[in-house]
Amino acid sequence: MGSHRVEHDPSADRQLIRRMLAGDERAYEAFFNDYFPRLYRFALPRLNGDVEATRDVVQATLAKAMRKMADFRGESELFTWVCQICRREAVDHIRTRHRQSRTVVLIDDLPELRRAIEDIEAPDEFDLARAHDRAETGRLVRSILDRLPSNYGDALEWKYLEGRSVEEIGARLGIGTTAAQSLLARARTAFREALEQAFGAEAADIAGSLGA
Amino acid sequence: MQDHDIEKVLKAAGPREKPPVEIERALRESLRQEWRAVVAERRDRERRMALALAAGVMAAAIGAWLAVPYFTTPAQAVGTVALATGELHEKSGRFGHWARVVPGVAVKTGQTLATEPTGRGAITLASGISARLDQATRIRVEAADRLIVERGAVYVDAGADAAAAAPLEIVTPAGSVRHLGTQYEVRVLDGGVRVRVREGIIEWRMGSGSVTSGQAGEQLTIAGGRIERGRVEPHDQAWDWVAAAAPGIEVEGLPLTGFLEWAARELGRRVEFATPEVAREAASVVLHGSVAGLSPSEALKAVLTTTRMQASLTDGRIIVAARQ
Repeated sequence: MGSHRVEHDPSADRQLIRRMLAGDERAYEAFFNDYFPRLYRFALPRLNGDVEATRDVVQATLAKAMRKMADFRGESELFTWVCQICRREAVDHIRTRHRQSRTVVLIDDLPELRRAIEDIEAPDEFDLARAHDRAETGRLVRSILDRLPSNYGDALEWKYLEGRSVEEIGARLGIGTTAAQSLLARARTAFREALEQAFGAEAADIAGSLGA
Repeated sequence: MQDHDIEKVLKAAGPREKPPVEIERALRESLRQEWRAVVAERRDRERRMALALAAGVMAAAIGAWLAVPYFTTPAQAVGTVALATGELHEKSGRFGHWARVVPGVAVKTGQTLATEPTGRGAITLASGISARLDQATRIRVEAADRLIVERGAVYVDAGADAAAAAPLEIVTPAGSVRHLGTQYEVRVLDGGVRVRVREGIIEWRMGSGSVTSGQAGEQLTIAGGRIERGRVEPHDQAWDWVAAAAPGIEVEGLPLTGFLEWAARELGRRVEFATPEVAREAASVVLHGSVAGLSPSEALKAVLTTTRMQASLTDGRIIVAARQ
């Protein structure tokens, strides 16, 4: 298995941050639209599905991220950096509220898999599809979609789950049909590589384990 | 992996959960306020840092400015004031006061000389070079061989002998001039500089470092990094102010031929004798008396009236002939 990384353009992160710090309203909207839903899905299972707690943690995380944004050095993807903040916020939240909560160890919090998802460079022998149940595998697939570069996850869902045309996807993203086709091609490649490296298996096998 | 495998995986995993709309709406607005506060704080911090930096830079600049006099070398006499018509003032150093100067006083390094709109002046440097200041001119004497023209015009006469001419650099906002034994004028204009060469050759060095030369009879107008060349004859009326600012000449005991050479140089002309006899007579005449306060053309007329000769100015020449 190769060691390809899902393509990431660090200059796009830096540009977004620069625009936000300059007070660009459109940059704030882009940041919120992109990061809020993904971060919500990241936080929800870590807080045992507690929607109110998730709301508080996501709010605290994004507020802290915006305050520290000028210090972001681009050593990882911006979303990975925000997730690191979110993990600490979730732990603090649970401690602060003294909640009686069972310990939740999510499979993508396992060091091996976290590395696999964040860097898409998991060891070849890691075979998650056989180790976890169908629900966890499905959640992991959705988590991988959230970890793909901006818009890739949305484009794949619109195309394969909602059955939207390339023209519609292009219109939703504000780009032309040709650009949308190109983006979909890149999204498929990135998703395929992420799946294979995270699960150590072909998509057909993963689909089988999911009962498709 | 085929596309339909990707579709199978996505369908089996199901769509990603969408956050509740009310939470999204609430957080969008509350975080927007948070973000605006962050931006405002940042701008305020940057503004304060910029002010602090500016204050620091200004304090350092003022300190350096105040300290300069303590680290600069003492003023050195590099020449004398040869002529002052109307108002000619000087100021020594940064903290000096303007004071009127008269012919005979020393010119020193670090000194600024300025003429009023109705005044003119001339200085003679220790090297023998004559530098004349037109009306409304201000120059700074940086060294014995370096004058800074801040405004107005300066005329330089470095002598007719190019090989013997002492070096001098005239610095302007647009560049500088060096001569190769010559007479020339440097005038600071609005947005440029004009150099007129009356005799010999000058070398113009742009601020960028590029060098070009100017010949006798040429006029170089430098503006916006471009040089425009024109003509100006050595005896053109454009030089009249130079004659008006010419220091007088001591004629006591001077041969008439020497006086005529001086007058010709000041007037941008050459001397011609109408006949060999006139030339011989001129060489035999020795002058006595004074022409102080007279311009070169006035002095020429005054001197020749005491002889049996007369002069006429024609086509760049002073023609000396026997009086009719």
